[in-house]
Amino acid sequence: MTVTFRSRARLMLIEPSFIHEQLSMTDLEFNICVDDYSDGVYRFILKISKNKEDARDIVQTAFEKLWVNREKVETLKAKSYLFTVAYHLMIDQLRKESKIIMTDSFDENANAITQGSSELKQLLLEAINNLNHTQKSLILLKDYEGYSYQEIGEIMQLSESQVKVYLHRARQILKNRLTHLEKMSA
Amino acid sequence: MINENNYETYFMSYIDNELNATERAAVEAFVLTETKYAEELAFFEKTKLQAPSVEMEDKIFLYRFPEMDAKLDTDFKNSLYRKEAPVPKILFTPNLMRASFAIAAMLILLIGLQLFKSDTNILESNALESNVVELALKNKTLLAITNNSSTNSNQTENTILPKGMNKVAISNKINNINITIAKSTTNQASFEDQTIATNNMNTNIVSRSEDFSETNSENDSQSIVVAKFNEAQISSNSMETMATEEEKIILPTNYKEIDTEEEDRTINIGMLEIDGAAFRGITRKFSALLKRNKLEK
Repeated sequence: MTVTFRSRARLMLIEPSFIHEQLSMTDLEFNICVDDYSDGVYRFILKISKNKEDARDIVQTAFEKLWVNREKVETLKAKSYLFTVAYHLMIDQLRKESKIIMTDSFDENANAITQGSSELKQLLLEAINNLNHTQKSLILLKDYEGYSYQEIGEIMQLSESQVKVYLHRARQILKNRLTHLEKMSA
Repeated sequence: MINENNYETYFMSYIDNELNATERAAVEAFVLTETKYAEELAFFEKTKLQAPSVEMEDKIFLYRFPEMDAKLDTDFKNSLYRKEAPVPKILFTPNLMRASFAIAAMLILLIGLQLFKSDTNILESNALESNVVELALKNKTLLAITNNSSTNSNQTENTILPKGMNKVAISNKINNINITIAKSTTNQASFEDQTIATNNMNTNIVSRSEDFSETNSENDSQSIVVAKFNEAQISSNSMETMATEEEKIILPTNYKEIDTEEEDRTINIGMLEIDGAAFRGITRKFSALLKRNKLEK
């Protein structure tokens, strides 16, 4: 939020008349998109890619693409456009990294992000770590961003029914995992 | 309707918020009927992640500012361009320059050698020509003598041929000989011995012509003696010239000492005249290049 206020303050520091004359609506809309969606896209990518630098680069690239295609992308669909671009960039990045042995785990990054989380959440994060990228992406897009099956399908280029099936399968896995872990702990 | 077979799908759709109000109410009613399904739904709800408060660092770089799209006027931008003269392309690389210098030096040396050889050949050919002339003179004198002898014999034997005919023939021969001698004297003015020999020949021939003009048989016999004496003299002279031929071919070569400190000096290689200062500069450059190459190695 501080960044949002700072950025808006900076915009206002420039002569207001100049802003109104020079800064088009597209620029303002773009900056609003940065305020509203950048954190969400970054969080989504960071959860899967497990690398802050990669997540930052992907977010930056996604917003650059949005700016380049600002004439074509509707403002209302900017969020899904950003997630779509970011998701595919991440998939490409993960494909490149699949050849390299991943040393860091989801837990390490998750711990850094969700400090002070409960034991249940910790177990849940461990269970999510065992899911594949598609299942993880589905869970994150649904739970973190609240996208509908249709929107998720658009972002991930899947049909609505596919999204439903894959997501339910992922939830079933998580539920079984949690049940097992609870039984073990009990 | 929700039942034991499809309740999981309904539960997951319920937590995903994908059911309408009627379906949601149906799920809630189904859970209330059976407590074990309530536990199931609670487990499914536990699988739902809570979004953490993650904030991206350096988000400021994502914003767009009007300064980013600032553009200069085209007129002002055009005034900033520097119009430089086109840089001439370097045709010769250092290695190519070295090679070209080396080839040029070789060519100069070869041309100089060729010119030097051609000079020596001219001298040799002149010497050979003189020998040919001498031999021709010898033959002529012999012919003259034979004619004289024939005329004498004709005179003594009182043959039909008139004396005037012989005189004309002999005088023509003498004229031819004089021409060849003149040629030889012009070609080899420097060879004193040879000129002496030709002078003797002239005098002898003249004396012989005078003898013929007198048309005296007694004088003819004397002239034969003189001719024989001259022949012997000519042969001796020709022998001397043959002996000194090798000495004559080897011309005296004058070596001039070049003062290396003199600035306006010129060096003659064959027919070429080279500026000494420029030549010294080239040689210094060559030596510097060779030194550099040595250092590089």
